[in-house]
Amino acid sequence: MSKNILCVPLDPVHDVGLKLIRSALDKRGFATDLLSPDLSLEAISKKAAQKEYDFILVSRTIGYGVAEILGRFIDMLDAAGVREQAKLILGGKAITPELAAELGFDKGFGEHMQIDDLIAYLEGKERDTVIHGLQREKQDITESYTYRFLHAEIEEILNDICDTLLAWTESRYSNGVERARIREELLNTGDKSQQNHLREKYNSLCESVISDGNTKRLYPAGVRNISPEELTALDEYVTSTNPYAPLKIQHNQKHPLIFKFLGSGCPIMDLVHGKISERWGINGFLIINPSWEARYEGLLEGYLTHENDGTVTSLENIKLMKRYLDPTTLLTVRAHRGLNTPETVLLAGAAGADLTKINLVYGSLGAGTDPERLAVDGVEAIKYAARFNMPFDIPGNDELSGVPAWKTLAGLLINVMLGKKLGAKAILKPLFCYGPHIVLNGMMDQNFVDFNAAKIRALRQIVDCPIWPGEPIAFMTQSEERVQAANATSYHAALAASLGVDVVTIASTDEAYSRGPIAIASRIDTIRAVTDAFRFMGDATINPTGKADDFTTDIISKIIEVLKEVRSRKSLPEAIYHGILGDEEDGAYPGTFGKGTLKKVSPRI
Amino acid sequence: MNKALDRVVDTVDIETYLLCKDESEGKRLALQLGEELNLGTVDIMFQEFDGYGVRVRLRKYIHKPGKPYGWLSTEENGNNK
Repeated sequence: MSKNILCVPLDPVHDVGLKLIRSALDKRGFATDLLSPDLSLEAISKKAAQKEYDFILVSRTIGYGVAEILGRFIDMLDAAGVREQAKLILGGKAITPELAAELGFDKGFGEHMQIDDLIAYLEGKERDTVIHGLQREKQDITESYTYRFLHAEIEEILNDICDTLLAWTESRYSNGVERARIREELLNTGDKSQQNHLREKYNSLCESVISDGNTKRLYPAGVRNISPEELTALDEYVTSTNPYAPLKIQHNQKHPLIFKFLGSGCPIMDLVHGKISERWGINGFLIINPSWEARYEGLLEGYLTHENDGTVTSLENIKLMKRYLDPTTLLTVRAHRGLNTPETVLLAGAAGADLTKINLVYGSLGAGTDPERLAVDGVEAIKYAARFNMPFDIPGNDELSGVPAWKTLAGLLINVMLGKKLGAKAILKPLFCYGPHIVLNGMMDQNFVDFNAAKIRALRQIVDCPIWPGEPIAFMTQSEERVQAANATSYHAALAASLGVDVVTIASTDEAYSRGPIAIASRIDTIRAVTDAFRFMGDATINPTGKADDFTTDIISKIIEVLKEVRSRKSLPEAIYHGILGDEEDGAYPGTFGKGTLKKVSPRI
Repeated sequence: MNKALDRVVDTVDIETYLLCKDESEGKRLALQLGEELNLGTVDIMFQEFDGYGVRVRLRKYIHKPGKPYGWLSTEENGNNK
């Protein structure tokens, strides 16, 4: 038998929420009556007493003095004898089951109530309203792309550049390449004496600051081993907690995945941030390593924590992240600069990471690695990425130094072609930023939309490859003011969604504050902001002005010019030394770490 | 693990508006506020004077990466459950 329900909008104006609920209840077969929102308590009580209602459903937002009104209303219903037959339900903003009970109602529902919760209650059924676990699937970012070049002239130039580079690197190797091969043998052997021999050999190819750490536990300042007790406590924490009522950032399936950086220095802190961020809907993380790691030959071993920025890239640390992050969460490990690029990719693959980060050009500019060294190490790294079937993302952060966008994008495209030739899938990472070259040349004086859109459109016309703006989006538009930082992130995310990109990396609202580590509350700020932006956008799009078309044409023609100049040099490193992909005027200098360390004989371990 | 501060993952941030005559008084008051709230020296993340006062964002790091965490149940932290 259908139940009679009286819907009471106990609000001077609004009854839209209750109208929606009533409509759902009618469809379910309940017999509902809806009162108008402007009735007095006396009139409502009278109506409630005129029919045998099973439930009185009251909608009211809690505010000043409202508790008193509701209390009076309950008294009136009591006096009218309504309570003897009807159960009273209170719903609305700021309502909790406890508050409803305190006010004399039989049940209370807050603003996040789902209609099924209410129906289950009305039908006297139990419904488990608490969802545990992330309830999502792992995504493959590269799945729907062919990696076909759509611009024949650019494809031809890239072919020439990459063939020349691969021939150039063939007869060269480095200690970085050799260490990766030793490490691989170490991973594959269970023989203790062989392991000792390989470790000795490995450490002989490291700088003392690394070998001292690995052999004597004399670590760089601020680094220490994580104690077994801390690992046990971490395990207890992660295994005893569970994401409650998980949220999804994307409003539809077309919206990009959202990544965040992790790299507080401490894997335990990273994991606590990571687990909380997962619940708020983050799809993946990039592990950021300490800046000093790029300067030293060799990587430290063990579970290690670091008191300064950047989490140490050890096999154990990456495994720890993989072990405790949700299986659906994507993890990428940064390998794009420094003297340990091949080994970093190997360790990422061996630890089960999903992606890695390689860019032979950006990694060779500004405080980076020597271009020749990174060319050799980078090619080896891409080969490891291919072997582990790990796509590699190519950060275009050289734009932040002042490098023009077309030079940065030309560099990204070289990496895509290299990946294609070596069997690895690349992901383009153009910046969504207010970079120095853009500022100086007024490309964003009118808006932040056109030039960012033009970069994406230009790349789309060149190659069928995933695009992941970063890194993070809104770089140099965010201030230390919390709301502005969240807004800037959300606007850029909305633009990214509008342009149909695959992934974006977002910062936190304390990104511009450089005097301390990122806080979890600030991470949640931008996640919420982006979630709202995606809800706001849905399938709608932002419409760039005609200027975006001009920028797109200009960017493509300048990419061609840059690539032709690169091709005219005898190798990619020489082109980088000569500033073709970023010169001193652009604020880019060829890196010096590892200069003169290449060897010409094939390694024999 | 009895103190609420032990449960702070990393920072306590405070956002408020302080009436003051200029930016430097605002800065002094912001730092004084941290002391009065028993947080010791706080960082001023953001401060903007508008003629009437300052809108400020203050931060105190309770747990920095790599240091013992009050919320992690280890004996070292006195939190062995």
